[in-house]
Amino acid sequence: MSRPDRSRTSAHQLRPFFSSQNLLNRADGSAQFDFGGSSVMCSVVGPAEVRIRDEKLDRATIEVVARPLVGIPSIKEKAREQNIRETLEPLILSGLHPRTGIQIVVQTMKDDGCILSTAFNATIMALMDAGIPLKSILGSVTCMVDEKTNQIWLDPTTEELAQAKSAHVFVFDNKSSITSASAGAQGKDADVDMDQDTVGAAILFSDSTGLFTEEQYFECAQICFKAAQAIHGFIRTAIAKKLEKEYQQTHA
Amino acid sequence: MDTTTATTPMNLENSPAFTFTASTFQKLHPIEYFRKFVSQGVRPDGRLLNGFRPTTVHVGVITTANGSAMVRLGGTTVVCGIKAEVAEPKLDSPDQGYLVPNVDLSPMCSSAFRPGPPGEQAQVVSDAINRVLKESKVLDLKDLCIEEGKAVWTLWVDIVCVSYDGNIYDAALASVMAALANVRIRNPSYAGGIIKVAGGEAISDENSFRLKLNRTPLSSSFALFDTSLTLLADPNFAEESISQGQISITIDEHDELCAVSKIGAGSSSQALLRQCVDRARERSKELRAIMSAQ
Repeated sequence: MSRPDRSRTSAHQLRPFFSSQNLLNRADGSAQFDFGGSSVMCSVVGPAEVRIRDEKLDRATIEVVARPLVGIPSIKEKAREQNIRETLEPLILSGLHPRTGIQIVVQTMKDDGCILSTAFNATIMALMDAGIPLKSILGSVTCMVDEKTNQIWLDPTTEELAQAKSAHVFVFDNKSSITSASAGAQGKDADVDMDQDTVGAAILFSDSTGLFTEEQYFECAQICFKAAQAIHGFIRTAIAKKLEKEYQQTHA
Repeated sequence: MDTTTATTPMNLENSPAFTFTASTFQKLHPIEYFRKFVSQGVRPDGRLLNGFRPTTVHVGVITTANGSAMVRLGGTTVVCGIKAEVAEPKLDSPDQGYLVPNVDLSPMCSSAFRPGPPGEQAQVVSDAINRVLKESKVLDLKDLCIEEGKAVWTLWVDIVCVSYDGNIYDAALASVMAALANVRIRNPSYAGGIIKVAGGEAISDENSFRLKLNRTPLSSSFALFDTSLTLLADPNFAEESISQGQISITIDEHDELCAVSKIGAGSSSQALLRQCVDRARERSKELRAIMSAQ
């Protein structure tokens, strides 16, 4: 039961994750989200003015810009932009801000695997920081199947992904899992409890590549769903703490 | 003229106060129009909800390319041409060739696309095809090596959409796989730092080689319609534009999944995804039969 990442003892263990909000002065909302050695910074500007060409009469236009760690954006970033935008567009109550634009910039800061998941989590926290009305929050986790042992490793590093037979990114919203979210509220180094009730995981976003069987796919979905509960709980705690702090500052 | 104006009010008395034809209704309320069909278990073009459009595959349509194929999926037509070119390998992979897919969605195929640099959709489809080919190890890039560290083959896989009516990913991936199976490259010779590829005489099994494909992944896409997330197999352009999200399942002939993607609104339950996988399995068999009939 060993994996290349020596800091973790279990295959179903997430790396320690952490976030900070409101880091950028000039953006309406910003957040950084880290999964161990991976880090993504996200800024949100909006609702603001939008180019006339992109203006929508009944809702806000959502624009996502993904920036790579080094170099200029390639088609990989374009695909990431589309994934994030198509997932968040229905989540944002864009009907409340017609004829405006919301710009989301996702900048990779450190890359040690699972960038898409990290970007999803950073984006949702930045959106909340900007005070954009949302239908629900989401949590994203990546897992992979090891080529040799067929073990499922949660939240793999770049080193681990090099020996992946398949890699799976999942996003779950908190609507389907609001009751079990409180169970895994402790964010730091959460070892996912496998005895939690198996709730039928409703998948909001999924992106899998490699070679895998149908059973492996749904097993991965289930494991990631349980791990996503920890992310949801963490986001909840982070927001609660932030609001508490703001309240104390304004009422001191 | 007088008679017509006189009879109009009489006709109106018998008919409801305000009516319009089905085609006007479709333009004004595309979603409601569609919903009426779906509630009866059919789609406006006469297909059942899980029906795919008629598909044809032709290989070897471009004689000047090393391999080519044309796929028609209802109103979507895609042509794929593969050209082999000698190139220098990368330093960190001296024995591996290159496989470069590129999707072109020009204004020629639909008014939805603008001229200029490739749009987002073209890039996203290119990336998706590139990832399936690489991650599922369709082709061993070492087979494309001519002389280690000196020369390798680059396969330029150009996918041109001639007519766009939705579901470009399924059509493009099928055309790429058909074209790859059709590729024939003349045997090169390496001597004293010079690559020679003999031309002239007719191409035959002696003077050329084919690619060894480990598997043939084929994809089946579904649109999610309405809040009930009704599955619509092989969505056309109109269905794509009113859909809530999309699910694509890519599966190979050994019943292994090569890619799964679910994007858009609405959390889909596992039962729904399993339904998609089952349908994709049937569909890829049918498509494989069409491709091998060539």
